[in-house]
Amino acid sequence: MDSEKQVLKTSSTYTPEAIAAIQERAELGRYIIRGYGALRNVPRFDDLVFLTTSLTRLPLEGYREKCTTKTFIGTRYAKRPMELEIPITIAGMSFGALSYNAKVALGRAATLLGTSTTTGDGGMLPAEREASSKLVYQCLPSRYGFNPTDLKKADAIEIVVGQGAKPGGGGLLLGQKVNKVVAGMRTLPEGVDQRSPCRHPDWIGPDDLRIKIEELREATDWEIPIYVKMGATRVKDDVKLAVKAGADAIVLDGMEGGTAATQSIFQEHTGIPTLPALVQAVEALQEIGVYGEVQLVISGGIRSGPDVAKALALGADAVSLGTATLIAMGCNKPVYIEDYHKLGTEPYHCHHCHTGMCPVGITTQDAELMQRLPIDEATTYVANYLQSLVMEVQSLARACGKSDVHNLEREDLVALTLEASAMAKLPLAGTDFIMGQ
Amino acid sequence: MHQTIPQQTLIDCANLTTREINQKLKALASENIPAVKLLNPAGRHNLAVGITQQIAIAIAGPVGYYCGGLSENINIEIFGDCGWSVGENLMSGTIAIYGNASANAAASAHGGKICIFGNAGPRAGISLKGATLIVTGNVGYGAAFMMQQGCIIVCGNAGANLADSIYDGTIFVGGDINSLGADAKLEPMNDTDWQLLEQELAALNISARDYNFKKVICAKQLYHFKAKDWANY
Repeated sequence: MDSEKQVLKTSSTYTPEAIAAIQERAELGRYIIRGYGALRNVPRFDDLVFLTTSLTRLPLEGYREKCTTKTFIGTRYAKRPMELEIPITIAGMSFGALSYNAKVALGRAATLLGTSTTTGDGGMLPAEREASSKLVYQCLPSRYGFNPTDLKKADAIEIVVGQGAKPGGGGLLLGQKVNKVVAGMRTLPEGVDQRSPCRHPDWIGPDDLRIKIEELREATDWEIPIYVKMGATRVKDDVKLAVKAGADAIVLDGMEGGTAATQSIFQEHTGIPTLPALVQAVEALQEIGVYGEVQLVISGGIRSGPDVAKALALGADAVSLGTATLIAMGCNKPVYIEDYHKLGTEPYHCHHCHTGMCPVGITTQDAELMQRLPIDEATTYVANYLQSLVMEVQSLARACGKSDVHNLEREDLVALTLEASAMAKLPLAGTDFIMGQ
Repeated sequence: MHQTIPQQTLIDCANLTTREINQKLKALASENIPAVKLLNPAGRHNLAVGITQQIAIAIAGPVGYYCGGLSENINIEIFGDCGWSVGENLMSGTIAIYGNASANAAASAHGGKICIFGNAGPRAGISLKGATLIVTGNVGYGAAFMMQQGCIIVCGNAGANLADSIYDGTIFVGGDINSLGADAKLEPMNDTDWQLLEQELAALNISARDYNFKKVICAKQLYHFKAKDWANY
């Protein structure tokens, strides 16, 4: 008896987390809703390393030797493709999910770095348009706030089929965040628990999507590119169908992608990680002969320069960041700790975006909380963060002997784990072995 | 909805691309040409899309998907049937269809009026955001799905799951309703409702009192997510 007391045994099935989840559902009588993204561990870009130069390859001087980052998205049909200074964009996050200050800061930071930001579900905020030199206008199933006037102001259109945090699951904005302004933009009753549909109202399936894309092109005189964004599930078929439907660019969001609110079961149990999604998407584009013609933007859990560099080396044209930019401006920062406690959480562990009570003023519509996020300061943080990522990517590219970050290639990478080897189809470090081949 | 068009410019679609047709329409609208007639549309998709300056467009024949979509200030008459999503995201103006409409008529339309002198397929008025949709015949299943604002008037019958998950707006049905969707309810007709119907339908030479109109609105029981509601959907 005594020895059993001294060594506490934890069930591998009924872990403390599993017990808490069962008991939470027993109290609620429903599924658990939360923000952020998948909390579980998955194979990721950290499981790859670069084979930088030695005698076989010549490096570029790592400090200031030219290493270009110019990026073009949407060169297939659009008269005005998106021209970006860096291969990093800011992903769609709605005004409603995010505060006014957060949206404006993201726009200003993107402008400072010469890249694009994206509207999100809920329409185009005038201040966001003003702040953003390059703005992608999302066409979502809800069509909240979608209109031809704003369409003509856009620099690109992104048809959202799904997102990595909840592929096939639609969207959610709980009533505490649907204030008068948000409700007005979305033509909804104030305070309602708002549901974003999982299907578009006017088309179903890839054949219809082809006609929908033509409609949007006609409405914008074929001037601006049209992206198709999908959550990563059956990637190869989905990418090929989107290309067949006429997409200029594919935006693919892996399961690590974030959200302001959804059922946690979607975040943890649907979709595939960003790493294998990227590899499958590149293969799909190559198989139908459009790799390089249809650009690929990858997103979902990308946090660092190495993540970006590895994504480019595996074949992405650009990456898109959402959650990481919010963290840059202060998400989960150890300040206003008493307000984290009110939510039953701690800094570094908060995923309570859905409550609208964000302690740092990012995912809230509460005027008082939003004041905790000064726009200028948030702009600087996000711009600094993006700049640091670019410098990291350039450093790795130079060390691989590349004078353009887009020249990074698969041959520059190896895998550290068998899982990453299988998913990235790269040799295990120090061997010629590729898992599964 | 019948328009008198004083002077018509003709566009024969037979030998033009969709791009060329829509470019001509936009150019004519910008030149303040009041009216234009499209010949030989032959069921083509995406006609009169993205027109935002005032112009009257008569289309002599059937059209495909998205006719009049993403437009403002337009007056379109379609003398034939139309495909999916006619008047999608319309902001203002009118679209009259002298024929049947396929699925998703007036999807997400924010403003203006869409009149179908015939039947409409499934999901008519889906995500409607403020426009008025009038169907003189029947509508298929799932009409007014997730409707947010606006008014739908159906003189005939409505298929299954009418007004499922609507947020707001009003639906009038002159015939039978197969079934209501989640959070939709019947509401007694009042004098204001009849006045509205008489006014809207008189313009189409239809007497509202010839029909036994019923009114459907949002029950507002699912506005806030409650666990015990699961059986409702």
